[in-house]
Amino acid sequence: MIIKKRKKNLINIGDSATLSDIAFILIIFYIVTAGFNIYRGFILGLPQKDSTKIVNVEDIIRVTMSKENMLIYAGKEINLTELEGIIKERLNLRPNMTFLLKIHPESTYQHVVDVVSKVRNLNVENFSFSMLENER
Amino acid sequence: MKIKRKKRYNPYIPVCSMSDIAFLLLIFIMLLSLINNRKEIKIDYPEAEKPEVTQKDKNFEIYIDKEGFIFYSGKMVDFDNLEILLVEALNKNPDTRVHVIADKNCKYKNVDSVLNILKLLQHRLVSLVAREIKQ
Repeated sequence: MIIKKRKKNLINIGDSATLSDIAFILIIFYIVTAGFNIYRGFILGLPQKDSTKIVNVEDIIRVTMSKENMLIYAGKEINLTELEGIIKERLNLRPNMTFLLKIHPESTYQHVVDVVSKVRNLNVENFSFSMLENER
Repeated sequence: MKIKRKKRYNPYIPVCSMSDIAFLLLIFIMLLSLINNRKEIKIDYPEAEKPEVTQKDKNFEIYIDKEGFIFYSGKMVDFDNLEILLVEALNKNPDTRVHVIADKNCKYKNVDSVLNILKLLQHRLVSLVAREIKQ
C-alpha cells in the first residue's frame, strides 16, 4: 500500500511581502492622528467657592492688566521683561511670594496667557488671577 | 534567409504597489477629514513658552472663538446649556479635565465667564490650552 505524503502548506512569501509596508503605514497613521489630540497648556487648580487664604500683605505682588493690555505695577506701566525682573527680585527676598493679577474684562486673552506663562516659568507657587471687580 | 520573428510580449500592468497606493490615499483622505473637522470652529490658539501636557483620559473641551461665542462638540452653546453639559460630564466621570480652548484674540471676560461656571460647579481640574511658541 502506498501511503500518500501530506503536502505541507507553505506560506507564500510573495503574498506577505507588502504586509510590513501596510503595518508601517498603519503605525504612522496612528502616530499622526494621536499627535493631533494632545493638548498643551496650563493646569489650573481653581479655588473652592468662598475659600479664603490668609497671606502676608508684604508677600503679595499686585499687578493689573489694563484695557490696553498694559501691565501696571505700583502705579507704573511695565513690560513683561520688567515684570520678570521684579518677580525674580521678590522671589529671592520672599520665597512664599504671591502673585496677584487683576485683569480688565476687555484685555486680550493672549496677553493674559503671556503673563501666566511667564509666572509659571519662574516657578511662582502662589499665583492667582481674576477679573477686575469694579469692571464686571 | 531566415526572417526573425518579433518576440511578442504579453501586456503587463504592475499591480503589486496598488495596495500601497490605496492605503496612502486612504490615509490622505482620513487626515484631510480630521483637519477639516478642526476648522469647524476657527480658533487661533494662544502661544506660550513651554506649555505642559494637559491631556487626560477624559477631557471636556470648551471652545471660545474670537467673538466670544462658546462651542462644545462643534455646536454653539449658551451658559445654561454649558452648565448642564458640564454637570452631565462630571457626574459620569468626576476626574474629567476641562480644557478651555479660547482664541488668542478674544476678550478675557469671555474666558472668565466660563471659569466662573466651573467655580460654581466646584470643579477644580481645569486647563487653559495654548500652543508652544515655535522658535
